[in-house]
Amino acid sequence: MLLAAALAVVFVPQQDPDLAAVLASEARRTAVMAECAAAVCSVMAMDQPGGGSGVVFDANGFVLTNYHVIGEPDEDYELPPAPEPPADVLEQWRARPDGGGEEAAFIAKWQQQWREDNQPQGAAHYRHKKVGLPDGQLYEGVVLGIDPGSDLAVLRLLPKHEGQQWPCRGFGDSDQLLVGETVFAMGNPFLLATDFTPTVTFGIVSGTHRYQAGQGNRMLVYPDCIQVDAPVNPGNSGGPLFNEQGEIVGINGRISIGDRGRVNVGVGFAIASNQIQNFLGDLMAGRHAEHGTLDLSAWFMNSGAGAARKRGVFVQQMFKDSVAAAAGIGLGDEIIRFNDIEVRSANQLATLVGVLPAGTFVSLWHRPLQGEGVFGDERRVVVRLAKLDTGSSRDGAGGRLASRINRRLAARCLLPAGQQPDDLASPDTAQWSRIGPDGVRITSITDGIHMRLEIGDVVLVRTGTGTGHAQDADGVRDLTPDEHERLRREQACNPLLWSPRILMERLAQAELLGGAMVFGHRAFRLAVPGEGECETWLDGATGVGFAFRDPVRRARVECQVLPGRMLVVVDGKFEPGWSSVDHRFRPADEALFRRP
Amino acid sequence: MMRAPFAVLLLAMMLPAQTADFGKAYSFDERKPRTRVEATIDRVLPSIVKVYGASGLATINAYATGIIVSERGHILTLDQIMVQKDRTRVVLYDGSVHDALVLPDEPKLGVRLLKIDPAEVESKLQPLWPPAAEAAAFRNGQFVVSIGNAFRLAEFSEKVSATFGVVVGRANTALRYRMADVKYDGDLILTDACNNPGHYGGGLFTLDGTWIGLNMRLLDSKETNTMLSAAIPTRDLLPYLDEHVLGKRHREEVVPKTPAWTGVVLFEQAGRQSPPAYVERVRPGSPAARLGLRPDDLLVRLDDYSVRSCVEFREVLARFAAGDKVKVTWKRGTRVLDGEMVLVEEPR
Repeated sequence: MLLAAALAVVFVPQQDPDLAAVLASEARRTAVMAECAAAVCSVMAMDQPGGGSGVVFDANGFVLTNYHVIGEPDEDYELPPAPEPPADVLEQWRARPDGGGEEAAFIAKWQQQWREDNQPQGAAHYRHKKVGLPDGQLYEGVVLGIDPGSDLAVLRLLPKHEGQQWPCRGFGDSDQLLVGETVFAMGNPFLLATDFTPTVTFGIVSGTHRYQAGQGNRMLVYPDCIQVDAPVNPGNSGGPLFNEQGEIVGINGRISIGDRGRVNVGVGFAIASNQIQNFLGDLMAGRHAEHGTLDLSAWFMNSGAGAARKRGVFVQQMFKDSVAAAAGIGLGDEIIRFNDIEVRSANQLATLVGVLPAGTFVSLWHRPLQGEGVFGDERRVVVRLAKLDTGSSRDGAGGRLASRINRRLAARCLLPAGQQPDDLASPDTAQWSRIGPDGVRITSITDGIHMRLEIGDVVLVRTGTGTGHAQDADGVRDLTPDEHERLRREQACNPLLWSPRILMERLAQAELLGGAMVFGHRAFRLAVPGEGECETWLDGATGVGFAFRDPVRRARVECQVLPGRMLVVVDGKFEPGWSSVDHRFRPADEALFRRP
Repeated sequence: MMRAPFAVLLLAMMLPAQTADFGKAYSFDERKPRTRVEATIDRVLPSIVKVYGASGLATINAYATGIIVSERGHILTLDQIMVQKDRTRVVLYDGSVHDALVLPDEPKLGVRLLKIDPAEVESKLQPLWPPAAEAAAFRNGQFVVSIGNAFRLAEFSEKVSATFGVVVGRANTALRYRMADVKYDGDLILTDACNNPGHYGGGLFTLDGTWIGLNMRLLDSKETNTMLSAAIPTRDLLPYLDEHVLGKRHREEVVPKTPAWTGVVLFEQAGRQSPPAYVERVRPGSPAARLGLRPDDLLVRLDDYSVRSCVEFREVLARFAAGDKVKVTWKRGTRVLDGEMVLVEEPR
């Protein structure tokens, strides 16, 4: 024993502290890389040569890759024949207490349901891709959503056994990246790894917020990308770019090349993770993600000297019927700020607009041109971004939607991790007020199934299914069917009136419809089950909006809410001047729901 | 009764909130640098400018990078772009665009100074001149950051690109640019930090932020046809900059050098352009004889310089003077031997 200790003292060399630090940092790096590698996959299409890479970003098997990796849509897609019901389902049916009935009829009904759940809704479809993971397994990948505007696609892996979970990595904040920060790219360049173990390349961030205009006949624009000197080669496409912590900060998709052809020269581009997340709702819901546009092009001008100096970003070209023109922006106007961010270059304006989905409301500060070199005062306009028409927009005809099963799964993935409805015991009572453009105050109060809506001097109360009353200057009367429906719909889809318990229950059975941006927050639009045209908008477990068809106003009403801020859109038109007041949970007064 | 004042309070809070803007899903604000690489890049970027020439030709780009070398507006760039009087512009770190005067070039180094009017510049220029004393003390394997506007990716106030690597060596022979041999008197710094069109004229920095080189064009190795990223050492720019920035005629201290002699006679076949440096004879009593060199030995190296031919042997030897001690490496049969010799003046 002593001898061993003495030997150890003699033979273990004294380590240099610098070397120890380097070794420790290397050990950290290799550990992070090993964890990341498990989530990196090879994506191959059977109908085209080559292949690309991808990354699992959700344990339920959702994979991000490049749009240019998944190839062409398949014109004559057909759903495979429905399978037989599983044995346990049949057993259960046979063992049910009331008995009787045709087994053949039950099977036919089960298969009909299967077809409805699995039929993708939309015009064009892709054949399943083959996705290889470092565990050596090859999985089928269903193409859900595509974003041809900025070269992204989301696939879902088909599980090999019930409830299969995959190793995955979460997203990092790409806006926190700084030039010089170390990053690493993973993927399968030149399809080197036949066992799907990813290749790792290491480098620094060479530039941030790079705008790369459309390239190729499909116009794949990279509105906000990260430039890296980590080698990126053909086959790396669709693979992840990780920061030192092993978070996904980008998807590698493009390189600048020199004189030697399509290989790395130390200038690779990754689509920023913050941009990707803005479109994740649409992509996971199986939509064709649409990018926003102001329908104008701007240029940076720097002319004159001294007082006559003109330096800034000016509108160079625009369509007469563009959203910007409708909001009052004209040719030659100076663009000053976009959503409170100072616009310093034309590229930057293109980046700011390009990372937002179509339909997002933005504010734009501009100085109107009033004559040769004469500009008016700064003014702000609110613009709803139009759809950017890309060369591949035709692929989106029919509003591709994933099958119902995939939309439900996508909604379940949004459930905040580790939380169960039982953990969130809280009262089911809530009060929320807003002020209309005409100054009318609207207050909604719920208490379980009771709901009270005060619109100015009019009070609508529903005390249970089918009963309720209305009260106005003329006295108390029964609810009209429309008013009753109005109350029911608001209660069904306004998440600000739900307790966390209800929220979790609803999430468990909701279908994901798509994404939206609410005051810069990423919202997921969920269909409320059994409610027709009712949508709840959530950011994680926080309600940020809702939409429903108002039977009283006979219009689609959309409400986007953050504390202190609210936007109301009626039939696609923005109604200025609305504001929310409060939406905290409060114990409701029982007397509020009693008929006077 | 309690509700009314509460509602008024809420209304008061709501009004400023209503003017708040539409939020940010992203930010162009940057965090503070944390690592040495980040801090170095952050520190030197304000001294790097984008340079635009009149127009490009098929193989010559109309854009490059430059480095501010004086508070009076001197900017150093590689003389590769189509610089033309009245048509050359410089874009500073803050995004401002300035017309530049074109000053005389330095044809041997292939560099040129431009000058902008400092009165037009809003912020104070941050020159990287004079370089730190350590500028000459770079070593192989040392980490470097290379900065320049590769492929013209950055415009106006956008930041130019940065790449990372090590110094891989120095060389001045066996290099070419497209079809032409590159003739350079001193040693160029070779690095694996990526260099690309547009990156030319940018800077190569150590992690202390010391400016050690000016990025050259992407060169080819004549032997392997691979592309090499090279930079002109900052110290070699000293005479040119002293003359044109400081107006100081750089007078080189010419110390008369006694040519060195080894006592080796090489085997030079007539007609062959560049035969390898085989020893044909060794003069008795010469440094080579003392070292033990023999006929048929193949000389491969003198100090840090590789010797691949008789011509190169003479070129390398010319770098030394009588009295210098040099390390010699040679091949005898299949063995590689080395030793040191003290060079002497050729006996009359």
